[in-house]
Amino acid sequence: MAFNEEHLADFLPLYYKRLFPHSLFYQWLSYGDQVMFSKREISFTLFGDVYIRHQSFGTHEDFVRELHKKFPVKIDIGAIYTIPPRGKMSGKALTPIQKELVFDIDMTDYDDVRICCSGADVCCKCWKFMVIACKVMDATLREDFGFNNILWVFSGRRGIHCWVADQNARFLGDDVRSSVAEYIQVIRGGISIKKVYLPGDNIHHSVMRSLAIIDKYFVQSIVIDQDILGKERLNNFLTIIDQDLRGTFKDALEKHESSEERWKAFETTYTDLLQKGQIPRNLRNMKEEIKLQYCYPRLDIHVSKGMNHLLKAPFCVHPKSGKISIPFNPKFVDTFDPAKVPTVILLEEEINEYDAKTKTMTDNADGCLMKIKDYKKTSLLKSVVVFEQFIRSIEKDMKSKENCDMMEIM
Amino acid sequence: MDFTARKRKSSKPTIPNHNSLFSHDLNMYNVPPTGETTLEEFETLAIERLQLLRILEQANCKGNKLFSEDWKKCVKEDLTKLELRKFIRLLNGLDGQTELDINARKADHLSHYILRLAYCRSEELRRWFINRELEWFRLRFMFQNQNTLSRFLESNKLIYAPITDEQKDEIYNELVMSTANMSDVSVRTTNFFKVPFQEVCSLVKNRKIFIKLGFAYIPTNELIVCVQAKFRASLSEALNVASHRLPSLDDERINTFLMNLNNSYTGKDYSSVNSDKKDIDPADLDSYSKKHYPLCMRHIHETLRTAHHLKHFCRLQYGLFLKGIGLTLEDALQFWREEFTKLMDHDKFEKQYAYNVKHSYGKIGSMINYSPFNCIKIITDSVGPGEHHGCPFRNWDATLVKQKMLDHGVSTEGIDTILDLVKNRHFQIACTKYFEYTHSLQAPSTTINHPNQYFEESVNIIGEKKKIS
Ligand code: SF4
Ligand SMILES: [Zn+2]
Repeated sequence: MAFNEEHLADFLPLYYKRLFPHSLFYQWLSYGDQVMFSKREISFTLFGDVYIRHQSFGTHEDFVRELHKKFPVKIDIGAIYTIPPRGKMSGKALTPIQKELVFDIDMTDYDDVRICCSGADVCCKCWKFMVIACKVMDATLREDFGFNNILWVFSGRRGIHCWVADQNARFLGDDVRSSVAEYIQVIRGGISIKKVYLPGDNIHHSVMRSLAIIDKYFVQSIVIDQDILGKERLNNFLTIIDQDLRGTFKDALEKHESSEERWKAFETTYTDLLQKGQIPRNLRNMKEEIKLQYCYPRLDIHVSKGMNHLLKAPFCVHPKSGKISIPFNPKFVDTFDPAKVPTVILLEEEINEYDAKTKTMTDNADGCLMKIKDYKKTSLLKSVVVFEQFIRSIEKDMKSKENCDMMEIM
Repeated sequence: MDFTARKRKSSKPTIPNHNSLFSHDLNMYNVPPTGETTLEEFETLAIERLQLLRILEQANCKGNKLFSEDWKKCVKEDLTKLELRKFIRLLNGLDGQTELDINARKADHLSHYILRLAYCRSEELRRWFINRELEWFRLRFMFQNQNTLSRFLESNKLIYAPITDEQKDEIYNELVMSTANMSDVSVRTTNFFKVPFQEVCSLVKNRKIFIKLGFAYIPTNELIVCVQAKFRASLSEALNVASHRLPSLDDERINTFLMNLNNSYTGKDYSSVNSDKKDIDPADLDSYSKKHYPLCMRHIHETLRTAHHLKHFCRLQYGLFLKGIGLTLEDALQFWREEFTKLMDHDKFEKQYAYNVKHSYGKIGSMINYSPFNCIKIITDSVGPGEHHGCPFRNWDATLVKQKMLDHGVSTEGIDTILDLVKNRHFQIACTKYFEYTHSLQAPSTTINHPNQYFEESVNIIGEKKKIS
């Protein structure tokens, strides 16, 4: 059965009652402290685009009760404030004290470089942009910044979200968040045609590592699949190149037909010019600049900059596609297929199927009922496990930190 | 703040070992002042420091690149113009120890602490204050030499140990790749320091240094970034603490003085209707809003015309502005009534809204004559969904600002400048630029700090032009 937006109202109650992993959700957002949870902004969007801001819930039970009463179409997670946001007096500002460092990458920002789909659509070919983004950022966050507790989430339609929950990430001020985001943002915004500049003699080690990741995909997924040097697109490509060199490259590339051959021609011409010393010093990294321009992660940087910015929670149901915004393991992002993300409909079918099967079994076995969590009966299981691992690793970190603090006291 | 507590008790000075606290032109302001001061001295010091900080701000607005030679020159010139000799003395780089030097440093120290009392009160004020203080810190830093600097660092226990040669060898390639503006040779010979990346944000942001597992490796010449970050962190922490237990001094006069300090941009409060302003005809408001209104008010006016209703804070912000530009109470009532009764009956208007209008003219209730809001107040107000008050530069997203700028005929170059300023949270400067681009590049006399100032300056400029042509 295909998902249709009108069905949503029928499916949400079942989803929230039987599948949504609210206990884990609570465990995560409270970081072992109920008081923290009670000061966390968690806002709901209800049917008909009714948006309730400044919500917070005193306890796990309160949260579940509201979930089961309101069946939100969307849940957004905000910061932990000095006071519960719900008790906020109008006109007074709230002061955030901590929030995960978050990143948001949306496929629509790639519309000028992808040809397979546009807008809200996504297929396996353009999903590769997300694969690259995820790998590049995951490596940067871990290796450069030393973060360990990172959750990657499929946004429900065409993008990915990243939550960094390490203790020291959660307490970063807005200015530090901005600088981390800008460190990662190699692509310049705005309307300029050339979006990446690497003017120095050396390329920063972080960018080099990203390039190494990109190289694994570039020719097949970008040059060939997105046909970046194809007929209508060759001109775009050439405009990125400095005016003085453009002609040379144009001549060389137009001798060939396919994108792949043209890219080869670009590379040989570039190496050739470089050896002859005909590429000015500030353009010597142009090949790298071009690669980055085509597929380096394009962040929505505002989401990362402010501690009080809200971001859609994992395990929401996307109202248009019915898909769940599921966490995934970045190690297996290559095999992640957005088309196969479970929808609420699929999950309900799976539960029913399972229950029917076990019913006949237990009928035979004299009704010795084994209580099994509903999500375990469905394809949501894998994502819940990823989520669980994320929470365990946070707990482990907090424990070892406690131990360290104890040692210091003793 | 400790300063006030001690002042009240007026205990004997304990810490000031003057020799160490006031022997450098630079100060981390970690030790609060002690001892007593007269009311006059208190006020003078406050105003002088405010002038200093404004000079720094103006130097940025005038388009000088921060910390460039031009910027330095501009600041120094302005300080000279206002005869702020004490502050100029701290820039002479002579490291003097005469009484004059010590006194200048004491004044610097005390005035810094006084402004803390005034500027801890809201996040926006704190941000402004911290940024200016950082600039002042950096400016003095630039006049130090190797000797005075290490003396300063040492006496403030800012001790940085370079990484060992073995450690350096291990990451040598990465250092060469990732340290900006440094050749292989200088990487060999320079000392590198390992610091948490949070302490060197500006270097992280621009990818100017090597970072590994949360630590940045910075060369000697970037140590300033670190010291500055420490200064910022301790100042911002101190201001936060102060904001939670808002200092209240025994003296009422000082209290009001402090409360108003950040507003005393021009000393004008635009609260009276009569004065030299001639009455405004409500029929002209539509054309005024296009010609003379700042963006915040224009938006409200246009919203009112299309929606025939405004929420409370919005009415307040706009109502007081109208009072400030010279709309009489009678005209104001007429104006609101006309618009509101397009959706509701007269009775309801009289009952629910007329009161508020009269109230804001001080004609009812507490009889206070309310002043129109200044920019800082408007910028710091929080704005909920469906509300239209506040400062557009602060509250709108870039696309919307851009759209409006286009609609209002700002050139693309102007739009870029304005959006850039907005990005850096210079809302009032953005507004000032907006003024320029909508007034044939004529700048207002100072940065816009009050919507009514915007209005008056605009009327003056456009009025003058009419006379000429
Ligand atoms: S800066 Fe002041 S006058 Fe300008 S739009 Fe903002 S609040 Fe209004
Ligand atoms: Zn596609």
